[in-house]
Amino acid sequence: MAASTRSRLATPFMDAGFSDQSPLGAGDPISEEEALRRLRLTDDPSAQYYAAWWLGRNRSTHPDAVPLLQEALRQRRPRDLGAGVEENAVARNAARALGKLAPAALVAIEDLLATLEDEDHGLREAAARSLGELRAQAAVAPLVRRLATGPSVAGAQQPGTPRLVEPCEALLEALGDIGVATPEVLKVIEPFVQHERPLIRSAASRALLQLTGEERWGQLLVELLQHQQLQVRRAALMDLGGAGWRPALDPIARTLAENSLKLIALRGLVENAGPGSEPASDPTLDASTVAVMEAMDALL
Amino acid sequence: MPAVLELVEAVRRADTALGLLQATQALAAAAHPESAACLVEILGFNNPGAAVAAVDGLIAIGEPAVDTILTNIDGYNYGARAWAVRALAGIGDVRGLAVLEDALGKDIGPSVRRAAARGLGQLRLAGLPAEERHGMALRCLQALVDGCRDGEWVVRYAVVVGLESLASALGGDGAVDSARPRQQLMDALRGLHGDANEEAPVVQLRAALALQRLEAAYD
Repeated sequence: MAASTRSRLATPFMDAGFSDQSPLGAGDPISEEEALRRLRLTDDPSAQYYAAWWLGRNRSTHPDAVPLLQEALRQRRPRDLGAGVEENAVARNAARALGKLAPAALVAIEDLLATLEDEDHGLREAAARSLGELRAQAAVAPLVRRLATGPSVAGAQQPGTPRLVEPCEALLEALGDIGVATPEVLKVIEPFVQHERPLIRSAASRALLQLTGEERWGQLLVELLQHQQLQVRRAALMDLGGAGWRPALDPIARTLAENSLKLIALRGLVENAGPGSEPASDPTLDASTVAVMEAMDALL
Repeated sequence: MPAVLELVEAVRRADTALGLLQATQALAAAAHPESAACLVEILGFNNPGAAVAAVDGLIAIGEPAVDTILTNIDGYNYGARAWAVRALAGIGDVRGLAVLEDALGKDIGPSVRRAAARGLGQLRLAGLPAEERHGMALRCLQALVDGCRDGEWVVRYAVVVGLESLASALGGDGAVDSARPRQQLMDALRGLHGDANEEAPVVQLRAALALQRLEAAYD
């Protein structure tokens, strides 16, 4: 499974290796039973929030996990500053967790498709990423529809917020992960490599690289590794890793960014098969793989 | 001497990320023991490029930098701690052993534990008397074997790399029994390679590579 998803950059609970941050309430190791119990506490969103995260992080295979997360996904709640919980936070974490629970979570694709139509931008974003992680082909049409108006509408900044009209990064990323490379899909993604925001350009380039394997998209990402903003360099690292584009080995190793991120990107080069194909279930010790691992050794 | 002070001064004056990077590179290139304190300070600046250069500088200074690094380990900033442990790992001085053991076993930062695991495989034990060398190698081995259960893939990956490079330190010189620790080391690698619950295929692949290399060497 893809090791390098950009969503690591966007979620509050970043997998360590990239970040040493722990979620709220961590330092409190709990069992799977306890996580399931907390997820049932519908009057305690803070407990549910952590429980949903826990089940995804630990890739729970308990038969109750997916049904409970589906229920949590339907919870809509206003922001509650007192409890430190933001609007629809439980639903958002439930959406994220479902993305990590394939194959059991495939039954939740319908729920995630419905969530993709939610008016809450953050929920659409989480649903899109999870649909991508679940390789949900049924999501291609709605994802394309949301992006079809292009950078000037779907990709325009919403007045009064830093957000774009659509969660474009997540939508683009999902299309790349799902891997349906029809001309229609490519045509909708391509204009976003010209978007004014480098993070959107990076996401679009990644998706196109995954879908077509064409070097020009990989080169765009390699150029972004030199961007003056660290945040952009980090995203390009994750995107090259997510696409598993091995020609980027040396540029990744030379990028001015944390070794932790470069290691995640290089792990992606090992584990994510070449552009346009499924992740290799059994990568082998060929010379190119050994070269990537030697570069990883040097970054430890 | 004034040359080093000038380079230190240039680091202090740098007011952009790029300026700091360039000043650090210049200071690191001098590899002068008197620059160690400044280089250690740079590890805490949250500028990865400069930190890489500073670590290179500390490693180039080598043993004379070890005391400065050890006395300035930052208990509050795991980013800085990771770079410091990385510098200790690169220098390989045995005075760093206790810090590396402690870091791999207890540090909350995966990046710190990762650097420590690598360092435990590359302490420079060669000049020591056989008994002492063997004792230290066993401590490294034990810390790495315990590290196989770390919850983070990148730490387990580093443990594999550490075990592979530690193997040569367990080499037989006849004075001490090295067959059993060597067996323990290979078992640890086989455990990581064959772990059905391993979430990161790259860890298993790296273990396979280490096993392949060591089995070829032991034959």
